[in-house]
Amino acid sequence: MKVRINGKEIETGEKKTVLEAAREHGIYIPSLCDHPYLTPFGGCRLCLVEIKGRRGYFPSCSTFVEEGMEVRTDSNAIRKLRKMILNLILSEHPNACLMCSEKHNCEEQKLTIRKAAEVTGCIFCPKDGDCELQEVVENLKMKKLDFPSLYKEFNVEKKDPFFDRNNNLCILCGRCVRICQDIRGVSAISFVYRGSQTAVGTVLDKSLVDSGCQFCGACVDVCPTGALVERAVKYEGMSDREVKTICPLCSIGCAIEAKLKGGKLISLHPSRGSAVNQGQACVKGRFLIRDIVYNPRRILRPIVRKEGRLQEVCWDEALETAADCLKKYKCEEIAFLTSTQASCEENFLFEKFAREVLKTENIASTLSFSPLYFLKDLGRENYFEPSLNFKIKDISKAKTIFLVGEDVALSHPIIWLEIFKAIRKGARLIVVSPEEFFLNRYASIQLKVKPGADYCLFGYLSKIIMDQQNRLDVSQTEGYEFFKGDLSKLPMSRAFEITGIDEEDLKKTAQILIEKTPSIFIFGANLVRSSFANVNVASLWNLALQTKAEFFPFTSESNERGLFELYRSSLDKNKMLPQIFRDISDGLIKAVYLTSPVPYLGKGKPEFLMVQDSFMDNNSKEADIILPVTTHAETEGTFVNGEGRVQKFNKLIEPIGEAKPDCWVISELARKIGYKDLDFKNPSETMKEIRKAIPGFKNVYYSRLEKGEEVFIEEEKNPKKGFIPVKYKPVYVRTSKEYPFLLSLDYSRDYYRNLKLSQEFKGFRLMRNERNINICRDDAKKLKVKDGESVTLYSSFGKFKRFIAVSDSVPEGIVKTGFLWNEDPDFSPASLISFSSPEKLPLRFIPVRIERGK
Amino acid sequence: MEKLTLPQQLNDLKKRFLSQRSLLKKIIVISSGTCGQASGSLEIIKAFNEELSRRNLGSSVGIKITGCHGFCEMEPNIIIYPEGIFYKKLKPENVPEIIDKTIIKDKIIPSLVYEYEKGHRIVRIEEIPFYKKQMRLLMQNNLKVDPESIEDYIALDGYQALAKVLFNMTGKEVIKEISVSGLRGRGGAGFPTGKKWEVCRKANSEIKYIVCNADEGDPGAYMDRSLLEGNPHSIIEGMIIGAYAIGAVEGYIYVRKEYPLAVKHVKIALEQARKLGFLGKSILGSEFQFDINAVQGAGAFVSGEETSLLASIEGRRPFPRQKPPFPAQEGLWGKPTNINNVETWANIPLIINKGAGWYSRIGTKKSKGTKIFSLVGKIKNTGLVEVPMGIKLKEIIYDVGGGIKSNKEFKAIQTGGPSGGCIPAEMLDLPVDYETLSKAGSIMGSGGMIVMDEDTCMVDVARYFLSFTQEESCGKCVPCRVGTRQMMEILTRITQGKGEEADIKILEDLAKTVNIASLCGLGQTAPNPVLTTLRYFRDEYEAHIKEKSCPALVCKDLIVYYIEPEKCIGCKLCLKNCPAGAITGEKKKPHVINQDLCIKCGACFDICPPKIMAVSKYTGKSKEKILKKFSSRKN
Repeated sequence: MKVRINGKEIETGEKKTVLEAAREHGIYIPSLCDHPYLTPFGGCRLCLVEIKGRRGYFPSCSTFVEEGMEVRTDSNAIRKLRKMILNLILSEHPNACLMCSEKHNCEEQKLTIRKAAEVTGCIFCPKDGDCELQEVVENLKMKKLDFPSLYKEFNVEKKDPFFDRNNNLCILCGRCVRICQDIRGVSAISFVYRGSQTAVGTVLDKSLVDSGCQFCGACVDVCPTGALVERAVKYEGMSDREVKTICPLCSIGCAIEAKLKGGKLISLHPSRGSAVNQGQACVKGRFLIRDIVYNPRRILRPIVRKEGRLQEVCWDEALETAADCLKKYKCEEIAFLTSTQASCEENFLFEKFAREVLKTENIASTLSFSPLYFLKDLGRENYFEPSLNFKIKDISKAKTIFLVGEDVALSHPIIWLEIFKAIRKGARLIVVSPEEFFLNRYASIQLKVKPGADYCLFGYLSKIIMDQQNRLDVSQTEGYEFFKGDLSKLPMSRAFEITGIDEEDLKKTAQILIEKTPSIFIFGANLVRSSFANVNVASLWNLALQTKAEFFPFTSESNERGLFELYRSSLDKNKMLPQIFRDISDGLIKAVYLTSPVPYLGKGKPEFLMVQDSFMDNNSKEADIILPVTTHAETEGTFVNGEGRVQKFNKLIEPIGEAKPDCWVISELARKIGYKDLDFKNPSETMKEIRKAIPGFKNVYYSRLEKGEEVFIEEEKNPKKGFIPVKYKPVYVRTSKEYPFLLSLDYSRDYYRNLKLSQEFKGFRLMRNERNINICRDDAKKLKVKDGESVTLYSSFGKFKRFIAVSDSVPEGIVKTGFLWNEDPDFSPASLISFSSPEKLPLRFIPVRIERGK
Repeated sequence: MEKLTLPQQLNDLKKRFLSQRSLLKKIIVISSGTCGQASGSLEIIKAFNEELSRRNLGSSVGIKITGCHGFCEMEPNIIIYPEGIFYKKLKPENVPEIIDKTIIKDKIIPSLVYEYEKGHRIVRIEEIPFYKKQMRLLMQNNLKVDPESIEDYIALDGYQALAKVLFNMTGKEVIKEISVSGLRGRGGAGFPTGKKWEVCRKANSEIKYIVCNADEGDPGAYMDRSLLEGNPHSIIEGMIIGAYAIGAVEGYIYVRKEYPLAVKHVKIALEQARKLGFLGKSILGSEFQFDINAVQGAGAFVSGEETSLLASIEGRRPFPRQKPPFPAQEGLWGKPTNINNVETWANIPLIINKGAGWYSRIGTKKSKGTKIFSLVGKIKNTGLVEVPMGIKLKEIIYDVGGGIKSNKEFKAIQTGGPSGGCIPAEMLDLPVDYETLSKAGSIMGSGGMIVMDEDTCMVDVARYFLSFTQEESCGKCVPCRVGTRQMMEILTRITQGKGEEADIKILEDLAKTVNIASLCGLGQTAPNPVLTTLRYFRDEYEAHIKEKSCPALVCKDLIVYYIEPEKCIGCKLCLKNCPAGAITGEKKKPHVINQDLCIKCGACFDICPPKIMAVSKYTGKSKEKILKKFSSRKN
């Protein structure tokens, strides 16, 4: 399409705004409310242009190009108009410095910016130098102001975590409100009041925490002025270097950009236009990483237990001691625990070390509890290979999203963003969970399934779909006859009794699954954290196969998928984590080498415990040797995210204290033990070895990753698919008189190595109600307990005391609390379950009793 | 009543209702719209009911409670049919007398009769000039219809237009009829209704909506309220016809929350229409289906702007958005939507029933039909007036409105609500239609008319209207939000005597910027009061700035109150009423105002007996003189 701007003919695409077309060709049009992530707003009126043949002026941000359109962006009339409008904006914005001729000689005051009670001009503003309003003033060459200042006199809102809100600097461009509503689907903030009182605020002036803010920081990132600024770095000034990297805090692997100043990490922002997260992040990636890296719990020097006391030593001594100790044990007496948060390179070397240096088969990790493991397990039993790669972006193309058991808006906000995109395009969201999630407000149907009856629910849906004539014909798929046979054992008459969902809702759901295709099934760890894990996954797999839906199992940890791929072929040989625990308590395993947080070993501690980590925790307090390693900000390597995408994270800063990268530690230790073939040079070399050894990694080259190419784990092109036999026994978790409640233990994903984020950071703790026992209003009334009261939970394994929080998100009959791996069981709900008895990790729906006090 | 499934059944129903009526000897029509109720019509109704049942007259005398008739100045009033006797400003005590004398003995009570001029009493409603000089096409049924009864509406040929359209006309023919009639949007902008419908009809979508904009926000304007309160079915019928023509499946009536009676009547009417099968599936047995929802606005002036109104229906903050796309292309929930004002919809059944030819003969070349104005301010006959387009302003003010109150001098008339302009006395010959008003710098708007007399300061008026639009700006775009605020600051400065000569130029520039750069109609028209007063009353601005005087003696900071010693009789009335204790003096001796203490509330001015009129206001140089005199006396 051809248009003329200021007499110059330019070629541009359809569905572009005049502003976009002009910017593409380097024609400057000032604008403050427009933003590439957002739909046009037309509020600031700075981008007005003239269009030949039309009367008046048009905002170029919301006027679309048309063939042969002739646009003028710089006539005298427009220039005059723009200056007038900018004048008006500045009359409500502290402007003392903007027109000041001495502003460049203001260094002395700049040093005291922290002490300025009110921002009266740019030099007192944290956004000085990075402010879009300053840029527009510069570009329009404003020399004087025509109107008196109308200072708004708002108090700066400081009561919320992470960032301050200074409405005095706000120009009401609405970017923050729009990104919160249109992109994040949260609507925590809005415009409030009208006329000259108009401001951005929350409903009834509540705090952001109370208005449902998830502190993703998207509003802070789009704010053109200093109205929204990250508090921790408010006074750091401009950065001097920016480095791209990958967030290590969940399985999405968001591309983020680190801002550095003088070699110090200042802040992190989501990268614009990244393939995975598309410029968005979440509270963890946006605000926590800096505090993790510089956390006071960091172990700065190697520590060795001498005469019963932990003492700092030099690396040489620590490694010598470690080598000597490990050599004392027989190989079957040693266990090595690898990490779902360590990079591919690190994990590869860990396994190599364990197998070749320690010669042990006792290798395990929390992968044992991953949904991938269950899927793989089912595939192996039934002779098919599930395809695990997917693209998060594809979620937005779906017409139906079938979400099982996960509050993705909290656990994986980036997945939620894609679901929200789909919903805005008209997709249906079906949520399977008895709990009230924030995203349920967008759900077409919420299936409040009875605890433990998930697989029966999926079975009933399959049965209804199979019994109806429809266009989804799967009768030729392998295993169909068995599938049909299994389903016939589900009596329709007992559907409600078994699943807790009435037939009408089941039929409505089935109808959506049949009609609104393509659909996508999303499930995560919650589905496999029960004693029905295998049948849950199998029947969901069958339902997805039957409705020709995509099947997205999503992982939790930054490199869960990477570790899975590395061990894919040897997975059957490795032991399950509960088995290792049994062996430790039985005394079969005497020495344990930890590289990731595991349940507290405490009283059943093995003879020799070595911890290789960045932070102190309960287990490391009991350790014999502690080797301090770097965080991911201080080294480089690769992660495989939940999609199967291989991404490289980069070194941002020099190691802190005497911490060393994992790879260095493991190879030095190998040398001390006397093993020569584990010589680590750099991660790139290690990747070479991985490429040779593991077929899934055959396309992974550092050169390609650094160029920004999309690299995925190699998978079978046309994997064999088939229905999996499921024995439907209408047995589900039951309560009893003794234990009338069901406890849902929310295993916290919010940790980094062995640092518990939700406990460590106050702001983050406010958002995650993990430290309380959550109970619904009615149950609280029945038990006569009040919010904040102390209660004791009893299960058949033990008891545990915490405070009650009355919550609207918990359904009746269920209590919910969070827990972390490495808490001391005496103070953790972990005492209510047994880690070593079952093969799986049944965290969900443990029968409990609640008693007041004690 | 059962659902109608054939058009013939409508005629049968009409006949039945009419026959039931003829049994009554007399009907007392009580005007009880919001304005009537505010002046006590509910007590009158109660009194009549009690009195009639006490005397067992219930079977021969009927009471009809209707909406507003328009003559608000005379509320609460009644009309006794069949004679058409008009009784004004009633009190419950009058009721027994009315029944005794007028109902039973057919005698007139002179004290309750409308007095046109001193000694000139007019008994029958048709002869009252206020009514006589109007052309009441839409408002006439407000006299005859009980808004809570669909029977009344059907008896007066209600829903006949709908039956005609459904069974004798195609959608295209309906639009053609409306186009030929020349009807233009009564919401203010005056866009040809037929053309608007055509665009929406042609839009390619299975789902289309129509909306009735009843978010009447202009201060002092209430014609839409009166129509909705008084004759809701006429709007509903118009909407169903519109939906049929456009092909809409669902409609919305967006009524502001501040109109509880209108909301109530609309909801009752919708329920009745649904019951009789005018709404819902298979309307009157045809294949057409359509339904209407009533939505209450949340109380923002800007919600009357069509895109904000749609946002508000969708449950969002009423922010307007940039057009295009127009609602006819992308409206409610992204679907093509046609929005018309209450009065526009009310015109539709009329045009269909009487024909486009008949309708287009009323009015001027470009503006057809009648328009309802709410005539308020310093006018004798405050009320709603319906007049043909093209009528002169003078005729509205003097013939219908009865002239200026207290026989003062007319100064200006403000048309079109807060976003309209002020038209001066020299232009009273102006014919009222869309084009001429806009040429004069004002707008038709939704039909507000505020009459101002010689005691009105035009700078103060401009400031008042601007303070309204400034507060009601939604805050989305800069020119409207900040521009109006800065204009307010300047005007306030001027009325305080702190204006500078450059201010007029800045004010003009600012007004033009706000006018051309604002996003929606609210901002674009907000400067109109300022621009028109600058155009027609520039001398007043200059007087405020240069001479620091307010010629109309309104602006507090520019005037002084002064007791003329030669006139004052020393009655102590002002002294007792002064809240600031600023007046001193002895009985029967001239009083004096202590200018240091005076807060310029004007209490002394108001209380001084009209025969005496000893308190005067001074401004400019004479004000300075008085102050000088006062301070020299002090020393």
